[in-house]
Amino acid sequence: MHWSLSGHARRLLVLAVGGVVLAVLTRRAEFAGLAAPALLLLATWQSDRNPQVEVRIHLGTASLVEGVSAPLQVEIHGHEPFAARLLIEPGESVTAGAAVDVPGGHPTRGAVLWVVPTRWGRYSLGVLVITFTDRYRLTEGTAVVELPYASTYPHAASLQSSVVLSRLPSRLGEHPARAAGDGIEFAGVREFVPGDRQRRINWPATTRHGTLHLSTFSAERTQNVVVIADETSDVGEPGASSLDLVLRGASGAITRYLAARDRVGLIIFAGRLSWIGPGQGRRHWYRLLDLMMSTPGGWDRAPGLTRLPRAALPPGSLILVFSPLLDARLVEALRDLRERGFSVLVVDVLNTEPAHDGSRLSRLTARMWHLEQEAVRFSLTQIGVPVVHWDGVTSLDTPLAPYTRRALVAHR
Amino acid sequence: MTAAGAWRAHRQRSEPTGRSPVTGIAAATALAAGVTLWSAFPLSTGRSGTRLALVTAIVAGIMSIAQLAAAAIGNRDSDSFAALDQVAQWLTGLVKMLPWAELLIVAVLGLEALHGSRPWHTALLGIALTGYVLAVHLTETRAGAGVLRAQLPLLSAGIALTALSVGAAALPHFMAGSTDAAIRIVVLVVAVVAVGLAVPVWLSRPGPERGR
Repeated sequence: MHWSLSGHARRLLVLAVGGVVLAVLTRRAEFAGLAAPALLLLATWQSDRNPQVEVRIHLGTASLVEGVSAPLQVEIHGHEPFAARLLIEPGESVTAGAAVDVPGGHPTRGAVLWVVPTRWGRYSLGVLVITFTDRYRLTEGTAVVELPYASTYPHAASLQSSVVLSRLPSRLGEHPARAAGDGIEFAGVREFVPGDRQRRINWPATTRHGTLHLSTFSAERTQNVVVIADETSDVGEPGASSLDLVLRGASGAITRYLAARDRVGLIIFAGRLSWIGPGQGRRHWYRLLDLMMSTPGGWDRAPGLTRLPRAALPPGSLILVFSPLLDARLVEALRDLRERGFSVLVVDVLNTEPAHDGSRLSRLTARMWHLEQEAVRFSLTQIGVPVVHWDGVTSLDTPLAPYTRRALVAHR
Repeated sequence: MTAAGAWRAHRQRSEPTGRSPVTGIAAATALAAGVTLWSAFPLSTGRSGTRLALVTAIVAGIMSIAQLAAAAIGNRDSDSFAALDQVAQWLTGLVKMLPWAELLIVAVLGLEALHGSRPWHTALLGIALTGYVLAVHLTETRAGAGVLRAQLPLLSAGIALTALSVGAAALPHFMAGSTDAAIRIVVLVVAVVAVGLAVPVWLSRPGPERGR
C-alpha cells in the first residue's frame, strides 16, 4: 500500500509556502495572512499510518453471464478513520460501474460494485483501486487489488418451445408420447377390460354405449437431446461471430431442454472432440456450460472427426447442431449420423460471407462460394437433415417454429 | 453491532460517485479567471515582469481547467492509429504532464507581489485562491461540499488570521490616537477567535493508528 500527499495537500502547500516566502521577501504582512488558511489546514496532517489493510472480495453470483451485470462485494478491514473510494479498472471485455465512496468510522466497511462482462470466456475482471483519504483530505493511500479470474457463460438464446421426437424412449418425463400411459393429456376412449382402473371410467361414454368405457391418457416421456456445438470456425463481426452464435444457441437449447426435464448431452466439435453424455439437473447444466468454456477452439485438421463417438449418442436421441457449416468434416459427420438413424436438426449460424473487391474474378469466386454453401445445405436437406438459419438476433423459436409445432418424425 | 451488521449498514450508506463535474469545473474556471484578473490589474502599476507573469497565469489557468476536464472525461485508451486519435492522445498527455494548478498559484502570487502594497486586495486574493484550491479538489474527486465540513473551523480561523494580517499591514497608515486603539482591540478579538477555532480542531485529530 502506498501513502502520499494528496493533490489537495500539494496545492495547499504551494499556496502556504508561496505566501510565507513572499511575506519574507517583500516584508508585506498581508502575504503571511494570505497563507494562513492553507497553513492551518496543513497543520492537521498526520504522519503515522498503518501500511496494512485487509480487503475481501466476493463475487455475489455463482456464474457470470455475458451482458448481465454481476455484483462484487468488497469488505475493508482497517483504516477505520479513513474514507475509501473504490474504483474498478476493468479488464478487457468487462465494463464497470462508477466509483463508490465508503465513509470512514467503522471497523468493517463494505460496498457493492457492479461489473458487466461483455463477452463469454475466462478472463480477469480487472483490478480494484482503493484510495483511502483522511478526514482533512491531505493524505492519500492507494491499494491495488487484483480481481479474480471468472468464467463468463454465453448469453443463452431465447427458446420457449422445443422440438420433440415422435418416438420417445420409455423413461418418465414431461413430453406426451403416442403410447397410452399414466399422463394427464387425454388421448381417447376405449372399452373397459378387466384389470382397468375404475377411477378412469368415462361415465358419459359409458351411458351412451351401454357398456363400460374408460378414458385413456398419453404416456409422458423424456427424450435424449444431444447438442453439437461446432467450434471449428469463427467468422463474422466480433460479438456476433459464428462462434458467438454457436455458443449462445447451444446454451439456449441446453437451458431449455434441461428445464423441460429432458436428458441433455453436449458434443464440442473443435480441433478435437469433447463430450458429456446426456444427463439432467442444475449440476449437469454447469458441467455442460463449463465444458463449453473450457474447450479451446481449434482449426487444426485432426483426423477421425467424421464419425462421432457412440458413447456420446444414446440411440433415439434428437441431435441439435449449431454450426456455420464451413467444415466439411462436420458435414460428413452429420451424414454419418443420419445413416445411423438419428434425427438431426441443423441450426445454421453463418451470417457473413467473404469480402470481395467487386472485380470480375472476385465476384466469380463469391458466386462459387455461395453455390458451394447452397449445395452443402441442399445435400443435407436431401438426406433428411433439416437446416434452419438463425441470425442471432431473433429468438430461436422463429427458425425452429416448423419443427416445434408438431412432433419431429424420427426416421429409421 | 456485529461485523456483518456494520457491513450491511455501510453497504447501504456507500454511494456511487457519479456527480457531474460540470458545476465544479465552472466554479474553478470562474475562480481561476477571477484571481488572475484580480492580481494582474491595473497592469500599469506593475513592475517589470508583470506581463510575463500574467501570460504564465493565463496559460496555467487554461491548462488547469483542461486538466480537470480531461480527468472528468476519463481515460479512453484507443487502439486506433488514426491521426486525430493520436493528436488527441498527445494533447491529453500534455495537459496531464504538469501540475498546472500549482503553477497558476505561483504565477498569481508573483503577479500580486509585482504590484505595490495593497493589504485588503491581497487578503481577498488569498481567500479566492483558497476557494480555487478547494474547488479544484472537489471537482477532481467529484465529492460534495459536505466533505469540507471538518475543515470549516480551520478555514474560518484562517480567514480571521488573514483579516488580522490586513490589520497589521494597515496599522502604519493610521495616525496614533483613538482609531489606533480601536484597531488594536479588533485585532486582539480576531486573534482570539482564530485561536479558539483552530486549537480544538487540531487537538481533536485522530491519534496514530495502532498496528494490527
